[in-house]
Amino acid sequence: MIREKITEMFGSIFREFKEDLEPPPLTDDTPLLGMGLDSLDFAVLVIRLQDELDYDPFTLSEGAYYPTTFGEFVSFYEQFAPT
Amino acid sequence: MILGKALSTIPGERRAWIEGSEVMTFAGLREAGVRLPATPRAPRVALRLTRVGSALRALCSLDGRANAIVLLSPTLEPSRAAALVKRARCDWVLSDVDAAPVLGDAPVLRWPDQVGPAAQPDSTAQTQWIMSTSGTTAEPKLVRHTLASLTRSAKLDPARGDGVRWGLLYDYTRFAGLQVVLQSLLSGATLLVPARGASSHARLEMLAAHGCTHLGGTPSLWRSLLMSPSFEHLRVRQITLGGEIVDDRILAVLQDRFPSAGIRHIYASTEAGVGFTVQDGRAGFPRAFLDRCEQGVELKVVDHRLHIRKVGEHVSYVGRGERIRDEDGFVDTGDLVEVLDDRVYFKGRAAGVINVGGDKVHPEVVEGVLLEHTGVAMARVYSRANPITGSVVAADIVAAAGGEDSGNLLESVRNHCRSRLARAHQPMIVRVVERIAVTGAGKLARG
Repeated sequence: MIREKITEMFGSIFREFKEDLEPPPLTDDTPLLGMGLDSLDFAVLVIRLQDELDYDPFTLSEGAYYPTTFGEFVSFYEQFAPT
Repeated sequence: MILGKALSTIPGERRAWIEGSEVMTFAGLREAGVRLPATPRAPRVALRLTRVGSALRALCSLDGRANAIVLLSPTLEPSRAAALVKRARCDWVLSDVDAAPVLGDAPVLRWPDQVGPAAQPDSTAQTQWIMSTSGTTAEPKLVRHTLASLTRSAKLDPARGDGVRWGLLYDYTRFAGLQVVLQSLLSGATLLVPARGASSHARLEMLAAHGCTHLGGTPSLWRSLLMSPSFEHLRVRQITLGGEIVDDRILAVLQDRFPSAGIRHIYASTEAGVGFTVQDGRAGFPRAFLDRCEQGVELKVVDHRLHIRKVGEHVSYVGRGERIRDEDGFVDTGDLVEVLDDRVYFKGRAAGVINVGGDKVHPEVVEGVLLEHTGVAMARVYSRANPITGSVVAADIVAAAGGEDSGNLLESVRNHCRSRLARAHQPMIVRVVERIAVTGAGKLARG
């Protein structure tokens, strides 16, 4: 469920802001840097996910954790999903 | 200058104000007074009065008698009002909202218990008029004025006011509202006061029904009035805008709707007193204003910030001992400006800048761009922050009547922003909302 929503959100960010880019296939190992999204794109992605999911793992987690792959990103969201 | 005396030459049968079912003539106002318990020296009195009429009776009676009059909003939370009463060292609070017997160490005198026959002013000393600023930051500041400093730019000739009806949509305890009230009173015009809690429609209907000729408001207020079907009934001949950045579009829309009306926008701040007026139909002001003394003020730009100096007015902060002028007597308005060719444009409040990954974005500028889109009636821009990724620009918009549906509108607005703004400045989160909150001062509620 969460994985699907995140995948869809990545897709929509690409469509809206990076229409000339071919989005890479989103597998667990796909690195986040090098996808073609910059820090502003990620900021928008994270904020829109917060609106969509009603929580933000970056705010909830205590350390400054930066997922580096798509798989880590999804796990991070799954880990903090409200039960 | 004493208020009671200044009004004495106005023909008694002329109406001073209409508020709800009350119609007060100038003759009636001259008879109204306020009794205060005796004090060894001229008292400092705070006012917390719901009706403008009550406040005007009090002001006319106390100016020239009181050492100071402190104008407080009746809607201010009691604990905050108490703090201001204390800071201003008031002896009494004249109130129709406070149930407690004491507020901020000062005894509360219930209105209208204190209303009585008019008393003669027993001193010619200038009464201080103390007001609070809009307080976009946490603590509102108290600013000291006199009647003279508040009416410096008012046209005081009672002959002018015959047939003039000023609509009051501002809060009378704020600088802009008090300007309208004093202008109306001192020129012998009639002040029209719609009920405070009423809807835009009801307020417009009241103004139209009483033949409002002169009306002032912030651009946000005007935009929200334009959305009301009752706006049709208004027949004004003098329009004033102020308090927020006035853009070309609102000027064009208003001139189009009232082709023969005079339109002027006023740049002013509570600290500096009335600043200056622009009547040439364009946003911003002429660059020439920076090079000469204009309407009794001098302007300079330092680090993109507008500084203003008014000759002769003594205005200072109360209670904190802060100096608000630099060595040359200039006040930093806190407003950012940009000089382009022959014009100086306002970019927004320095304090409101949104930092998007190092790019400085002015919410007011983005709002101006959004408002260029004919499908947008009102807009509010703010920052959405995330602790890891930083801020992005967000916007709430109210759709203009008769426009496209939300989905198409959002897409269209996004495209418009893309064509007009650099990437970091584009709103990344845009929502269509039913309404956008406006403060008691008529400005966008920026939270």
